Amino acid sequence: MTAQTETTRARHGGVAALRAIGWLSQACGLVASLMILASVLITCQMIFIRYVLGGSTIWQTEAVIYLMVGATMLGLPYVQYLRGHVNVDLVPLALPMAARRVLAAVVLCLSLAVLGVMFFHGFELWLMAWERGWRSETVWGVKLWIPYLALPVGFGLFILQLAADLAGVVLGVDRPFGVPDADAGEDA
Amino acid sequence: AELRLSHQWSTSDVRHKVAQIVADHVAAADVDLEIRIFPSQSLFKASEQYRPLSRGQLDMTVLPLSYAGGERPAYNLTLMPGLVKNHDHAARLNESPFMDAIGEIMAEDDVMVLVDGYLAGGFAGKDGCITKPEDIAGLQTRAAGKAFEQMLAGAGASIASMASSEVYNAMQTGVLQAVNTSSSSFVSFRLYEQVACYTPAGDVALWFMYQPVLMNKSTFDGLTAEQQAALRAGAAKAEAFYLEEAKKEDAASVEVFRKNGVEIAQMTSEDFDAWRELAKQTSYKAFVESTPDGQKLLDLALSVE
Amino acid sequence: MDPLTLGGVVALATILVLFSGVSVATGLLITAGGFLLAFDGMRSLELMPEIFFGKLNDFALLSIPMFIIMGAAISSTRAGADLYEALDRWLTRVPGGLVVSNLGACALFAAMSGSSPATCAAIGKMGVPEMRRRGYPDTVAAGSIAAGGTLGILIPPSVTMIVYGVATETSIGRLFLAGVVPGLMLVTLFMAWSIYATWASGNAKVLESRSFTWAQKIEILPRVGPFLAVIVGVLFVLYGGVATPSETAAVGALLCIGIAVVIYRLWNLPALWAILRDSTRESVMILFIIAAAGVFSYMLSSLFITQSIAAWITELDVNRWVLMAAINLFLLVAGFFLPPVAVILMAAPILLPVILAAGFDPYWFAVVLTINMEIGLISPPVGLNLYVINGIAPDIPLKTILRGSIPYVMCMVVAILILCVFPGLATGLPDLVMGPVL
Ligand code: NA
Ligand code: NA
Repeated sequence: MTAQTETTRARHGGVAALRAIGWLSQACGLVASLMILASVLITCQMIFIRYVLGGSTIWQTEAVIYLMVGATMLGLPYVQYLRGHVNVDLVPLALPMAARRVLAAVVLCLSLAVLGVMFFHGFELWLMAWERGWRSETVWGVKLWIPYLALPVGFGLFILQLAADLAGVVLGVDRPFGVPDADAGEDA
Repeated sequence: AELRLSHQWSTSDVRHKVAQIVADHVAAADVDLEIRIFPSQSLFKASEQYRPLSRGQLDMTVLPLSYAGGERPAYNLTLMPGLVKNHDHAARLNESPFMDAIGEIMAEDDVMVLVDGYLAGGFAGKDGCITKPEDIAGLQTRAAGKAFEQMLAGAGASIASMASSEVYNAMQTGVLQAVNTSSSSFVSFRLYEQVACYTPAGDVALWFMYQPVLMNKSTFDGLTAEQQAALRAGAAKAEAFYLEEAKKEDAASVEVFRKNGVEIAQMTSEDFDAWRELAKQTSYKAFVESTPDGQKLLDLALSVE
Repeated sequence: MDPLTLGGVVALATILVLFSGVSVATGLLITAGGFLLAFDGMRSLELMPEIFFGKLNDFALLSIPMFIIMGAAISSTRAGADLYEALDRWLTRVPGGLVVSNLGACALFAAMSGSSPATCAAIGKMGVPEMRRRGYPDTVAAGSIAAGGTLGILIPPSVTMIVYGVATETSIGRLFLAGVVPGLMLVTLFMAWSIYATWASGNAKVLESRSFTWAQKIEILPRVGPFLAVIVGVLFVLYGGVATPSETAAVGALLCIGIAVVIYRLWNLPALWAILRDSTRESVMILFIIAAAGVFSYMLSSLFITQSIAAWITELDVNRWVLMAAINLFLLVAGFFLPPVAVILMAAPILLPVILAAGFDPYWFAVVLTINMEIGLISPPVGLNLYVINGIAPDIPLKTILRGSIPYVMCMVVAILILCVFPGLATGLPDLVMGPVL
């Protein structure tokens, strides 16, 4: 995970739209990282309040959970950009380049289809929570549209990055599956 | 036809047995209807069953109704401190105009009640007994239900929120000093190994939670008259069993705690009144403020003798 | 179609989809969505995001990024090298001091990191070159660290144990304790093999002990201080009534970041960002698989496949050890291709009822499962730790790394067999500390 993907990332080949989407995904990664950092600090604050001050901790557990959901959802496009979603690349590696490109395009289209479903129904869920004023069943009672917002936003941006990857493969500016191309003599 | 019933408990839990009675009765009635039970959250997470039920993606569930309180604030009244005094009172409440009003709200979500039932619970302390509000002041406490957290915070307790699976360990290491939950959870989480004193549900108890068998209304209406009759008959049988078992659970939990050398304390009616007075200023107040028609529903519930 | 046949079709389809090169998590979503659409109808797709969200809506998952941050923060400093160097200077009377020190350092580092590649990288960065410089065979230098790194998920904390606990609703604190003794046993086996292999390579001279002056021995001690401080701090938080196990992870993460900044002077922003970025990448990858596997197992349960398979295996009525062997073989094959987290999430809901019905202990099984998953980390074709070593020492051919790993795989198989004979090695410590299982 660490050493393997150190230098891998999506390539834009000079196409402005692909470069912009790449930046957007990196921005998501920054926000996701900060959310994880915030979870560390909030959890430690909660322990401090409870153990040292002996006080009540009402909101921290829930806040941390929703920050983690947010970090995961916003992290999706970023990790895709870094080619960090682990996969089994035996078959793609065994295929000649032309076939590998076709397979990559098919795989990306299938991914876009299922993530489109997730995006659409995720959006519906968010909308319902918004319209009906759903809250979490705790003393804090968070308005649920806030954490649910992570679903459409995260899946939407993930779809954007996948679409950029598809374009990269079709245009021939990126390597299918992000694996190094032996002919080009790259090292990963 | 096949109906799918989901719940969160193991197959040895009374709530599973209630569902099983309905399923067995319907199967025996031979009306071309089968209920398939998914226990132990094997289909949906505990807190995520109400929405699929209301949309007809799940046919039946055994659900603590207050889990859906974030969507329907009125349901919070079904886990409100001091509102139910004992099991017979709970049974009268089930037949009251108050429950009719709750039923109307369920109908808006296309949900109906098949089997009514309340389960009771109590308190346990790591170092001492908890019977009256002063006992819990300053203790790190985990309570089951938001209204209880509000009341206990009003009594000066520090509220710690954590998953029920962490409670045993938290009691053991001392992160928690007091806990409030159902009689069956006290036993199934083996909390008797970690506490000094147990205050069970007795002649009076604070903690009662409404946990009915619910069904999607459209699905029910779509069944034949014979199938509906079989379901109703099975439900009636299950409801009688549920009430009996609910009473037995409290006694059984006391037995287990006593056998493990835990001191058993009783809540007096003065203690109960003190808690209820506190609840009026905390959880009842918060409920009325955050619920449309909250005062009306609360008065309806309080008017049940 | 009856659920069992359907289960076979799902298994086949899942394999096909995953071998297409799609990411594991998305592949699980594709398979789940396809079968839900075909057998439960269009409207069941509505549920997918809700179930996905529900799986992430779990406080226990917080500890995954936290334990990854712990490992990442410490491995970005020279703490790993300090650790094995200190062990090397003190273990002068032990034959093969250096490889033993490296493996010991792996085990200690594993106590601070929840992931295996992090452990492997942290010790290997300095340890592998040093062993080769001193004349250890490449197979031992590479194989021992690749294998030692796998201890990251057996010795607590462990990301895969958390995932198992979440998937099976078992106590994470108990799971952690269950891994301690088997972890120590495994590292002992690794050490024994390393010494033997070095001796057998005809290069026994490198095994001779070297001597260090007391000054050298004392001088290095402060450098392992921070390391011990973290371990003691975390244990205090965990068992001193300060926090629950999930919360403790955050304290550990903060401690490790703090030590990296204050003691190792890692206070430039790019370096700190690198720690956070790498941890985010690995955590999101794992959390995505967890959520997607939740949707996948909803599909299996909704189509009654999980229940039917469990009932079918139970009715087979084979000897329970034959069953255990078959399960391990299945896990082994899955582990060759898939990361441990994915295997556990897909297999645990189906296997656990069978395991329990056959009278096995779920905590003991977690340990066996974890060791099995460790094999996958150092075996082809997808062995993460092999790639880590390959990244550290690019001039050792992958073939040599592989050849070096095989004996360590055998050590793991032996460890599983020992655990089958003496299950108390796994269950004894949790029973002792936490009382008998609920
Ligand atoms: Na570890
Ligand atoms: Na492998």
